[in-house]
Amino acid sequence: MLDYAKYLLSPVLLATSAYGLWLGGPHAWLGFGLLIGILLFDAFLEPDHSLRDARFPWLYDLIVSVQLVMGFAMILFYAWLVGQGHFDSTSSKIGGFVTMMFTQFVIVAPALHEMFHRENLFHRWLGRIGMVMIFDPWREITHVVTHHIHTVTPDDPDYARRGENLYRHLAKTFAGQIAESYHLERRMWTKRERAWFDPRNAWVWRVGILVAFVGLLWLIGGGYGALAGVGVCLLGPRILLEIFNYTQHYGLVTATPGRFEPRHTWNHLTPFVRLLALEITNHAGHHEDSYKPFYELVPDRTGPKQPQFLICLLLAFVPPLWFLMIREKLHHWDRHYATPQEREIAEAENIRAGWSDLNERPTLAQARFAVAP
Amino acid sequence: MPVDTIAVPGETRAPTRADARGCRIAVAGERDFQAGRDELLLLSALNQGVNYPHSCRVGTCGRCKTRLVSGKISPLVDFALSPLTNRDLKDGYILACQAKVRSDLEIEVGLIDHRVTLPLSVVGEISGWRVLPGGVIDLRIALDEPLAFQAGQYAALAVSGSFVRRSFSFYDAPPGPEGAREVGFLVKHLPGGRFSGWLAARDRCGVRIWVEGPFGQMGLDDTPRHALCVAGGTGIAPILSIAEDRLQRFPTEGVTVVFGVRAQADLFALDRLERLSRLAPGRIRVVPILSHEPAGSGWSGARGLVTAALDPGLGIDWGRASAFVCGALPMVEAVEARLTALGLPRGRIHADKFEPSGL
Ligand SMILES: Cc1cc2nc3c(=O)[nH]c(=O)nc-3n(C[C@H](O)[C@H](O)[C@H](O)COP(=O)(O)OP(=O)(O)OC[C@H]3O[C@@H](n4cnc5c(N)ncnc54)[C@H](O)[C@@H]3O)c2cc1C
Ligand code: FES
Repeated sequence: MLDYAKYLLSPVLLATSAYGLWLGGPHAWLGFGLLIGILLFDAFLEPDHSLRDARFPWLYDLIVSVQLVMGFAMILFYAWLVGQGHFDSTSSKIGGFVTMMFTQFVIVAPALHEMFHRENLFHRWLGRIGMVMIFDPWREITHVVTHHIHTVTPDDPDYARRGENLYRHLAKTFAGQIAESYHLERRMWTKRERAWFDPRNAWVWRVGILVAFVGLLWLIGGGYGALAGVGVCLLGPRILLEIFNYTQHYGLVTATPGRFEPRHTWNHLTPFVRLLALEITNHAGHHEDSYKPFYELVPDRTGPKQPQFLICLLLAFVPPLWFLMIREKLHHWDRHYATPQEREIAEAENIRAGWSDLNERPTLAQARFAVAP
Repeated sequence: MPVDTIAVPGETRAPTRADARGCRIAVAGERDFQAGRDELLLLSALNQGVNYPHSCRVGTCGRCKTRLVSGKISPLVDFALSPLTNRDLKDGYILACQAKVRSDLEIEVGLIDHRVTLPLSVVGEISGWRVLPGGVIDLRIALDEPLAFQAGQYAALAVSGSFVRRSFSFYDAPPGPEGAREVGFLVKHLPGGRFSGWLAARDRCGVRIWVEGPFGQMGLDDTPRHALCVAGGTGIAPILSIAEDRLQRFPTEGVTVVFGVRAQADLFALDRLERLSRLAPGRIRVVPILSHEPAGSGWSGARGLVTAALDPGLGIDWGRASAFVCGALPMVEAVEARLTALGLPRGRIHADKFEPSGL
């Protein structure tokens, strides 16, 4: 039963964070402090390759559903506290905001992602509605279609090519996702012979739930509460999620677009990250079968690994440090994981990034690169 | 966006959930096979040597279209984003290459009575590059290792170091099980086309290129009959392969090739068609038809879209012939409709649509 209990960590952390917010003052930092503390501690632990006991799947599903509902309640609670002028000092204002940003990103976003991938209708809808907390209810379509099908190709807006720094990636990924979701939605309503504004079209009712969410924040927390709530969603889960995406497939390449292989993703398998992020960092298994619930994923023991999740996130903010780490990882990937055709694509990507020094035969690679489309 | 699991209530067999080892796939009128729960239906069939119709394996060609009679599958992506039409969706069609098996299934699909060659990735070097009329490049690739393919199949080409990967059909007759050391393609230069634009820009001989194949099953029709081949533009590539293969294999049967291009100046590959005439004198007839030839140009042949040439005047026994159709999507659809109206059985019309193939 320990496996099931482990996943209670997230709801407990949410409850503790909410309690901290309620106490106010310096306690507003409690959730943030705890989360960062756990993640820093986790950075010193060895990867965990164990499988989960999956005899009572409903127990896991219950925990995650509760976690998601708690996340939702928490953002409303936060908006209410702000509306009441509960955070009186600058420090508590900032503390409350960062606590919300991080708990919503680390704990709530993985829960909604887990749920919108599910086959069970109740779970899927919970996940879909939960997407308001990343302030992007349209995300599911580009995620499931584009990201899961075009993994590690420039056609996936979530993918960062070699040499791209975080800030450039952020600008590119937002624009790419909007264009791509419009393109896909349009294909679907055209295929189903509906007008673009037909309320049965997913994008239309997704606008509806987002508006309802903001309306609810407003109702509960007034103008300031709503503003703070939306700010948390955008700066927390929304942007931090893109940063996670930035790291997760960084610089990897495929010679079989549309056919995922476990080498096409990085994994982060330290024990607490696996628990808090609901195994989303156990990424190869998730891509192999995106319907597979988190407790059935099998960690890829020999697959490509990055440094611990929090470390990666922090490095990403400082491009020179990020490149220092990732260049070495990619150098290893090219030699140990890539197929011969992928190695050639990787060489071309290295040249494009200005990293020719990573290539084994730079002159040959340069000659090939010069004539490629 | 994924659609929810598609479940069709079965009258005889209720979907079972926890069948961890395997699910029974009953193909109406054909053999049953086992598929692991959570496996992709097509891959599972192919891995067991079931000759399931397929081509691209990534949800773009529509060749693995299957009717789900009962049972549960989960699509990798919403089938509204696939080549299935709205009508198909309503009629319960799915794509086997995109369907995860979730229970025992009852399906309707015509299995293929033919050996399936699993694709290989082989590297080679461009050994021939020639510009033909109509903005077509005759591209030849010398391979490091031999590659086997059947008539009418195609390969995915990707230049070394490039993410750009596009499908093109082999135009040579199939090499037999030992495979070919050199393969050829006819590539139409499309304005704005990433691959064809690059290829057309200059002589690309010597460039290293990856060839993954074979894919596709258009030419797989082993019955000795008259073959009506209808090609639009570079759709002639797989038709050349099919025509040569059939002329060799069925020494008493004939081949009619209806070949549509825009104008006289765009007619290409005529030398290859003439070669076939010499190979099988009197057994191949070629009907070039021009859609945009200026009036009074002196062209005495047929004019109009390829469908205009498909009439009783061709003297084909429609009930007995097999048809092979290749070209752009609207042309293929128009030809399929025309041939069906002329009495050619639906199951004997084999087609490949030259859709943009960048994933
Ligand atoms: C099974 C099969 C076999 C084929 N065999 C042949 C063959 O033998 N010879 C041949 O010449 N062609 C063949 N094709 C077609 C060929 O693969 C495509 O035309 C391919 O896209 C050309 O690549 P490109 O890089 O030159 O053009 P692309 O960059 O792919 O662009 C092709 C054209 O389509 C437009 N386009 C691209 N993507 C989209 C999109 N998503 N939406 C709307 N428009 C778009 C572009 O602007 C351009 O005009 C085949 C296709 C298939 C599926
Ligand atoms: S093989 Fe399934 S769509 Fe092409």
